[in-house]
This record gives sequence, C-alpha cells and structure tokens, in this order.
Amino acid sequence: MIRLRSVSKEYDQRAILRGLDLHVEAGEFVFLTGPSGAGKTTLLRLLYAAEKPTEGEVWVAGRRVDELHRRRLPLLRRKIGVIFQDFKLLRRKTVLENITFVLRIHGVPPREAQRRAGQVLKRLGLQHRQGALPDTLSGGEQQRVAIARALAYQPRLILADEPTGNLDADLASELLSLLCDINYQGATVVVATHDHTVLESIPARTVVLHQGQISYDGTWPP
Amino acid sequence: MIRHAFAEGWLLLRQRGAIPAVLAFALAVPVALAGVGVTVIRWLGPVADLESRGATVAVLLHPRLDEGARRAWLAARAAAQPAWSMTEVSAPELAARLGRWFPYLEALVDDGDASLPALIEITTAEPESVAVLELDSDVLAIGPRSSVESLLGRAARRLAWAVAAVSVVLLAAAVLLTAVWVHLELFRHADELTIMRLVGATEGTVRGPFLVAVALPAAAAGGLAMLGTTLAVGAFARIVASLGLPALAVPTTVLAAECAAALGLPVAAALLTLARHAADEIGS
Repeated sequence: MIRLRSVSKEYDQRAILRGLDLHVEAGEFVFLTGPSGAGKTTLLRLLYAAEKPTEGEVWVAGRRVDELHRRRLPLLRRKIGVIFQDFKLLRRKTVLENITFVLRIHGVPPREAQRRAGQVLKRLGLQHRQGALPDTLSGGEQQRVAIARALAYQPRLILADEPTGNLDADLASELLSLLCDINYQGATVVVATHDHTVLESIPARTVVLHQGQISYDGTWPP
Repeated sequence: MIRHAFAEGWLLLRQRGAIPAVLAFALAVPVALAGVGVTVIRWLGPVADLESRGATVAVLLHPRLDEGARRAWLAARAAAQPAWSMTEVSAPELAARLGRWFPYLEALVDDGDASLPALIEITTAEPESVAVLELDSDVLAIGPRSSVESLLGRAARRLAWAVAAVSVVLLAAAVLLTAVWVHLELFRHADELTIMRLVGATEGTVRGPFLVAVALPAAAAGGLAMLGTTLAVGAFARIVASLGLPALAVPTTVLAAECAAALGLPVAAALLTLARHAADEIGS
C-alpha cells in the first residue's frame, strides 16, 4: 500500500527526512512515533501529496505520488482518509455538511450521503451536534468530526496525525478501537502519535522516527 | 457538484451584496456604450462617407475644349498629379444630375447636352491640392474641396474611435475589477479551498462557486447592456425619425455580441485568475 524509497525532505536546506525507506503492506496497522520534529507529520504529508520529497520515490496504492499530475491528485486523495492534527474542518459548513460534502465529492447521492454521515456521527457520539458549526464545538468534538469525515467514505488507507491529541482517555480508547475495526475490515491504517499509552494500547507495528531517520521498526515496546 | 457550485456561488454573492451590483453596472456601461456606438456607426454608413480616406472635387472644364483637347488635358494632369484619381462624367450623366438637383434648370438640360461643360471628378486624399487648377485657363470652375459626406464621414470615424477607446478602457477596468474580486475571494477562502483539495475535491468543484459568482452578475450586465442599448437607440431613433432621416434600430447581432462580451470577458478573467491560483496552491 505504501512504499518509500530513499526519501529525503528538506526545508530551507534543513533536512527533515533523510533517505527514508519504508514499506507498509495493504491491511497493516502501523504507528509512526518519535519526538516532536522527528518528521512524522512531514511523512504523512508526503503520503497524501501535500508535499513533494526533495529526493526519492513515494508510492501509495500503486501510484508514484511524487510524480503524479495535479489533475490526478483528487483521485489519489479520495482513496485516503486523512485525520489532520488541526482538524481542517470547513468553518462555514455544519458538522453534517462537512461530512456529506466529502461523500458528495466521492459521488455518493445526497440522501445516501446524509444517511451515512448520520451513521458515522452516531458512532462517534456526535449526532446531537450535527447542525452545529465547527467553531462552536470543543476541541475534542472537532477532532471527532475530523475523524468522522475521514471514515465516512470507507477509504482504503487512513492516515491519522495525532488523532487522540484532543480526546480524553475514554474517547481516545473508543477512537483506537474504531480504527482497529476499520483495519480489521481491510483498510490500511497509519497513526502518527507521540503518546506512548496509545502505542501500548494496541499490539501493532511501530516505526520510530528520530532526526528524520527510522531508528526502530517492530512491535512496541522495543 | 453543479448544485454545490450554484449554492456556494449564490452564498458568495449574498455575502458581498454591493460588489456584484457594482460589477454588473461596471460591465454593462461600456458594453452598452459600444453597442450604441456600433449601431449608430452602422446606421451612418450609407449616409456618411465612412470608408473613403479622401474627398472628391468637381472640376468644370471650359466648353471650348473638344474631346481631343480634354483627353490631352487629362493625360497631362495624370502625369503631373499621380495621386489624383480622375473620372470624366459623361454629358448625359451630368444632365441627369443637374435635372435631379436643380429642377428649375430643366429647360437648359432639355435643350441638349452639347451646351454643358465637361465635368471631371478628382478623388484625392489631399483635396487642397486641386487648388493648383485655379490658375489653369482651361478650367471654368472648381467645386468645394470637401463634401458634406466626407466631413460627416470624418466626424463619424473620429466618434467611432473615441467610443471604441472609451469602451475598451472601461471594459478593461471592469474585467480587471472582476479578476481582483475573484483574487480577493480566493484569498479570503484560502483555508477552505486547501481543505477541499486535501479531501479530494477536483478543481472543477473548487472553482465552480467562484465562476457562478462571476457569471451571475455578468449575465445581469449582459441584460442591462441590451436594455440600455435598446433604450438609448430608441431615443435617438425618435429624433432621427422627426428629422425625416432613415429609420434606426439595434441589429440583433449587436445585442448578441453585447451579451457574449458581458458574459464571456469576466468569466474568462475569472478562469485565468482561478487557474493561476490553483497553480500557486498546488505548487506550494
């Protein structure tokens, strides 16, 4: 599902990732961890083509992302559900519209989109907030809307950047079990986190990034 | 996504109430001005000498010149003044013209063509140059060196250029205003557009609302321009009719061209701005 070959990324001649090689099979559940500034978010941004590597090749779902024509980007991104660290919700749209909008982009008919959005909101305990605008929600609620949006269209690959950062322990646990369910149904899940309790909650493959390089790749704890 | 484009585009228009109205007005005025200009110039075409770049001066030769002498005179003048185009008006044609212009001379004309002097028409870009013939003893008289038609034609040409220049400047300003407005709206919605792209929205979905927000006032501008042209030309037509001049009406092609210009130019400007923005966004 994901293959990185000698990937490097520099910002203003400062190396964030250095010659990274990584292979994630379809259906795997992978934690990406490391200290702040290790390159976790940059790596995820390379995967959903928000960035291009300075060097190397990035392959996602059989396509070389770093050479993908910009017209092809939407098609790639529709295969990926991204849970952003800063939520990235559409502020002028309600909670329900934020989710139906993405479903409509994926070609889901309006009624079906409403039904599926309602289902996923119910699953995340947000059905009573579906008419609210994102700015009126708490950080945890916004986080859950962002998760609901990423899960609504059942993507083949889910990239989550610190998805439990704004959630209490119960909700974090609920979210992780949700991600496990989706992974069990066949989706590949990559979760970037620096929270060791999250890593310990699921016995999954863990990739540790340190100064832009992979320092450990295996089950947690090392 | 068409429904989304219309809903979001309409929302954009509602949020910026005054700007689309100003935009529609700014587009309608130059388009209507150009439409009125084209209509009036087209109407003036058969009346005024629009195409000619010179004037025709009538020269009467002395009746004592027989045909041979006239030919020799014409050959000598053609050699001396290569810029002149000279045509001899035949006696029957001259008789017919005189009969048409001066009916009271009917008796003279009916008396026979032999008594009429030879009329030469000299067409030149510099009608003043015909003045050299004043010293020619074979020339009986020289007509006015500028005709009403050519004066009218010159004035109409200048008017057409002035109207075209004003229309182009105003239209360019309106199109620029459109591009700047779209640019500002893109800037205001930058975060939202980035999110839309990140969740897989195509450029069509991203750009659609902005195109709709430009196309709606542009369509209104087209309607306003057609209405303005029809009303202005109608008022002018009433004045023209009261003077007994040929009737004046707005051709359908002019109305269609107005509509196409009012709609097409701002939409093209919006498309270019959106394409530039998309390239910047994706390249960053």
